[in-house]
Amino acid sequence: MSAILKGKKGEQRLLMGNEAIARGALEAGVQVVAGYPGTPSSDIIENLSRVAKDRNMYVEWSVNEKVAAEVAAAGSLAGLRSMCTMKMNGVHVASDFLLHLALSGTRGGMVLVACDDPNAHSSQHEGEMRHFAQMLEIPLLEPGNFQDAKDLIKWAYELSEELRSIIFIRSTTRLSHASGQVILNELPQTERKAVFSYNGFILDQMTGSVITLPIFFKHPQLQEKIKKAEQRFESCPFNSYTGPENPEVLILTSSACNLYSIEAVHLLGLQSRVGILKLATTWPLPKGLIRKHLQKVGLVLVVEEVLPFLEENLKVLAYEMASEIGIKRILGKRDGILPGFGEMSPSLVAGALAKITGAKLDQRPEEYEKKVAERVFFGAPARDWTFCPGCPHRATLWSIENVLQMDHRQGFVCGDVGCYTMGLSPINFGTLKTAHAMGSGTGLAGGFGKLEQFGMEQPVFSVCGDSTFFHSGIPALANAVHHGANMIMVILDNSGTAMTGFQPHPGIEKNAMGDIAKAIDIAKVCEAIGAKVRISDPFEVEKTQEILFQLLEEKGTRVLILKQVCALSPEKKGVKKFEMIVDAKRCLGEECGCNRLCTRIFHCPGLVWDKETKKARIDPILCAGCGVCASICPAKAIQKTPATSGKKEAA
Amino acid sequence: MQVFGPNELAADVLNKDLCIGCGACTQMCPYLKSYKGKTSMLFSCTRQQGRCHAYCPKAEVDLDELSNFLFGKAYEGSPLGSYEKVMISKAGPKMISGNFQAGGTVSALMTRALQKGQIDAAVLTDWKGLFPIPKLVTRPEDVVPCASSKYLTSPTVSMLNKAQELNYKRLGIVGTPCQLTAVAKIRTNPLKREDFKDTVGLTVGLFCTWTLDARNLVKYLSARGDVEKIKKLDIPPPPSEILIVTTADDEIKIPLSEIRPMIPHSCSICPDMTAEWADVSVGVLEGRPGWNTLIIRTEKGAKLIADAEKSGFLITDRMPKESFEHLLTAAGNKKVRAFRQALKEGCINNADNGHAALRVNPAVIKGMRIEPEEDHVGHT
Repeated sequence: MSAILKGKKGEQRLLMGNEAIARGALEAGVQVVAGYPGTPSSDIIENLSRVAKDRNMYVEWSVNEKVAAEVAAAGSLAGLRSMCTMKMNGVHVASDFLLHLALSGTRGGMVLVACDDPNAHSSQHEGEMRHFAQMLEIPLLEPGNFQDAKDLIKWAYELSEELRSIIFIRSTTRLSHASGQVILNELPQTERKAVFSYNGFILDQMTGSVITLPIFFKHPQLQEKIKKAEQRFESCPFNSYTGPENPEVLILTSSACNLYSIEAVHLLGLQSRVGILKLATTWPLPKGLIRKHLQKVGLVLVVEEVLPFLEENLKVLAYEMASEIGIKRILGKRDGILPGFGEMSPSLVAGALAKITGAKLDQRPEEYEKKVAERVFFGAPARDWTFCPGCPHRATLWSIENVLQMDHRQGFVCGDVGCYTMGLSPINFGTLKTAHAMGSGTGLAGGFGKLEQFGMEQPVFSVCGDSTFFHSGIPALANAVHHGANMIMVILDNSGTAMTGFQPHPGIEKNAMGDIAKAIDIAKVCEAIGAKVRISDPFEVEKTQEILFQLLEEKGTRVLILKQVCALSPEKKGVKKFEMIVDAKRCLGEECGCNRLCTRIFHCPGLVWDKETKKARIDPILCAGCGVCASICPAKAIQKTPATSGKKEAA
Repeated sequence: MQVFGPNELAADVLNKDLCIGCGACTQMCPYLKSYKGKTSMLFSCTRQQGRCHAYCPKAEVDLDELSNFLFGKAYEGSPLGSYEKVMISKAGPKMISGNFQAGGTVSALMTRALQKGQIDAAVLTDWKGLFPIPKLVTRPEDVVPCASSKYLTSPTVSMLNKAQELNYKRLGIVGTPCQLTAVAKIRTNPLKREDFKDTVGLTVGLFCTWTLDARNLVKYLSARGDVEKIKKLDIPPPPSEILIVTTADDEIKIPLSEIRPMIPHSCSICPDMTAEWADVSVGVLEGRPGWNTLIIRTEKGAKLIADAEKSGFLITDRMPKESFEHLLTAAGNKKVRAFRQALKEGCINNADNGHAALRVNPAVIKGMRIEPEEDHVGHT
């Protein structure tokens, strides 16, 4: 039985933030869950999918975030409690539907859990999403600790069913991925039956057709909901104040920044001078609660990630109240006392507090800090942004790079989101020249592929993962084919949403709950769209390059599917296809004719440069036995033989 | 000869548009490759010295060193280079007929050299569709299908690199002046490798005023229709001013004014019209269709000619004085133009650790009375 199912009411358990959210969903009696994988949000569905059978839930990894929101909304409209999950990028994808859903309203409780990634630990940007709540006009909640991460979910469902509106819950990497003690509550025993009612009066949200029109009725109705939410926020049990009755400084904070603020206050020993107002209800701000705290203090420090969202909304309220409570000094990101980018940390908050209060921050001597910085920079071994041993992407990018350079027309590759984004790095040949959103590489390539009339002669490739293909690659391909764009889309089919942990997608014969699912053939989809399709195995370097050269001779929209399972895939891990050795006698090493091609350029971690013997060798532990390096060795010193054991040595 | 590495090759040749695509730097490593007439550096190589730079005919070519190595004397800058005899020739009665550019002299010499075993393989240039490609030939009867001038950049020397791995000991090679400059550099063992073996047994040079960028010509032809295969390229003697492209089912006439922009920039600094680093050099004889101009430069060349004549593979004749003077003028003009252009571009005899394309005794240039200020540099 899964950890989040174990445990009875009153028990205390160490849960990761995302596990706490999942447990909270179970305690709230959620029945339908849909999402698209993306760090740091993926673990919520990972956990719920494992207990789907036990709790009779429907859980799916949807094709993309918009569809996930739609699938979850269907559960709500049929009267059930539903949830959809995604990372910040996904909110942008889903927002078109969400804008409509905000107006049409929901029935059964519906919660959108979206996780931001400040500092872009596992993202290509750190764009935060709280502003979406304001744009969509839906209530926004932010758990400020691990207990809240669980309990706020149930409260959100109750609010959702009171307002009949979707509720936006925002987490961040440090809350989703860190762990804390959580006291459990009971799991409900009742289940709702799904029925979609539509025969009632058209303006009745609960029984009529579910639509956004007429606006003159629906929009004011939505704004009434927001007013009601604000009232409920005034007494929300997850908003709490810790500190002296009349603090010198009030910290207004939310999410993981609450934890940093607590630590910073303790670090400086300012418990008697600084108070912390932890807000779980961050949009709309509860005016009464804010007034109560503002009137007791002259100076407020807003601690939040990433942009000054709370700060700006607080400043609007403070302006409106100024005649009653006087003018307050509100510090945060706009004045620069805290940075408007990256993650917060206890030391950043302590630094700001020290500046404001004059408290002494017990810092390490400057000389010591300088030394540490130097040692870290020069002394720590560099860790390259490299692909795993046996990664199909390395072989793919190697072939594309070789072919593009030989083609000599300054061809280039547009990428998007996936492990293959690392193709931007010189260590991975720097083959990718653009990287944006899911599917954007193909959209961009399709655009570049129409610039011939303006003199563009460079060949254009896109690379697109298999999950990305279904997510948003298909419309881009259809657009390119329909408009006759001159481009080559290379689909990197590694049999799963590999980067986020092998979540299934529509091309896989299994769904999130482990049931057999209809797998959609990517090649047939591309052919049906009208593209010329070729298929190869990226580990067959010569054949792949030959096909790439042929494709470069052709016109129109061409597709090459490179099929090879991810090296870390559960079905492959630990199994070597080949035993690799380096014949030291043949190895040219640094000599003219090679100059360490395998360890200096190809960069598979399974290949090691032996400084003593000045020869390359195979690291038998790291080597995945893919055999690709045998194809690139100019001296044929790297040799492969079929593996007998089939198991990775000592792995 | 100064030898640098791949970074210098990139900086001094590839990035300065001086690469002529001869293929001398390819077929030796994974970094430099030739594809459709263009040489590309795929990845960076950090070596201080490399065969790529050592063999390049556009990097640190020391004309004195080449001349001393091949002819035992300094480079004089004379229009035709070092030679023993100039005559005219054509294929003899023993030769089968073929798609010859003029007299079929080159095909006859290579066929005979293979037949007699003077060489064990021949590096020639064939067509692959619209692009010239090198071809290694071991049977005498396979020479004639490679006949006719290509007029396009071709990585012919790459085959010499490849053939060295195949253990041939006496390779014959037919090449243009730039290609044979690379071959001469290779033969001097510029890297002083102990295991070096000179595997070149015979060099037959082709006269060349300039060549055309293969890709640009192909692009030009492709824009005119569906051209799949070139059978022959020809530039008839003045005043015709046209290039005739013979394809499977057509004859395309292109005015030279449209062709000239396709001449690689690199040709403008080439001082060699008559393939001076060959055993024998062959060109089209103007004014007497079906005949070649033949320059015999070495003893080996003289022996080959004598044998080819004796065995009926070649017919020779004296060269008319008028033709000889015309040849001297044309070759001399190219030399003056090239040195002038090289001076203008600052890629000759660079001092103070500067990298030069060419190195030549300053007295030779002085003797040519080149005025570098002049700015009317043409290609014909």
